[in-house]
Amino acid sequence: MACAEFEERLLEYAELANGERARVDAHLAQCSGCREFLDALRRVDSQLSAQLAGLELTGTFASAVQRRVQQERFAGRPSPVPELLDFVGWGAIVALFGLFAWWLAPLVQVSNSRLAIPFSASYAAAGAFLLAAFLIGIRSLADLKH
Amino acid sequence: MEQEIRACLDQKRYQEAFDKLLPEFQNKVFRLAYAMLGDAALAEDMAQDVFIRIWKALPGFRGQSALSTWIYTITRNACLTALKKGAAKRESSLEEPNVARAAEEASVPPARHGEIDVLRFLDQLPERHRQVLRLYYMEERSYEEVARLLEWPMGTVKTYLHRARKELAEAVARSKMERGTA
Repeated sequence: MACAEFEERLLEYAELANGERARVDAHLAQCSGCREFLDALRRVDSQLSAQLAGLELTGTFASAVQRRVQQERFAGRPSPVPELLDFVGWGAIVALFGLFAWWLAPLVQVSNSRLAIPFSASYAAAGAFLLAAFLIGIRSLADLKH
Repeated sequence: MEQEIRACLDQKRYQEAFDKLLPEFQNKVFRLAYAMLGDAALAEDMAQDVFIRIWKALPGFRGQSALSTWIYTITRNACLTALKKGAAKRESSLEEPNVARAAEEASVPPARHGEIDVLRFLDQLPERHRQVLRLYYMEERSYEEVARLLEWPMGTVKTYLHRARKELAEAVARSKMERGTA
């Protein structure tokens, strides 16, 4: 519809320099196709500007985002349940070994006095196991904090 | 403002940095999302998701690019992913011209009574033309801002815009002629 020679200039009509605009205006005066094209272009520009220019968010957007940030922060914390289970499980296993060593100590002494494990050594082993249970517990609690 | 935000980031005051960048960039992120997705409600949801991503990624921001460039890249990538994911859905719902138009009309002020509704013709344009066109009018017809937000060369922005405006103007002129002859 617009003359090919002038189409590009009509698309940039508002930004044309004075001399160039005068040449385009002279052409427009005698070309109805280009006039219609420019008129339609102006209609497009004014209507889309009116409908879209400066489109902004609602006032509640920022507070909605901050609420989601708080939720994400809470959701991002690791669950304490696996760490608690880790703590209870490993502590119980090691403590069982300790208690077994404690129970075994007097029996070993009585059954064979030569080969008997010294009483204090058995209790030391039991104590070591219980200490290990305690350390595992501490480590699990440290994991929990992170 | 970007300097202030950067200073906060350098001192690892991430929450403060986020509190500053949210009001600074929220409308830009929303407009970019709206330009790419073509629906205000979707764009608002997307803008929220983008800011959550930004909040999570802030400690990893190394400052190799401008903060705004980084934010717009996150926005564009999130929108492109959403467009890809939603392509199948839109084929059966939003891409249908009537549904797309209803969504578009619901999110922006309607044309005045008796006027040819130019937005109606947007659906006939290729997606990239629609994106660049929406952004151009939302950003007060600034080529530079469109090029910056989409991170496209200025020449590409101008070419797409010219083609899109030309197609729209021709569609409007045709519609006017049809009205005149009807």
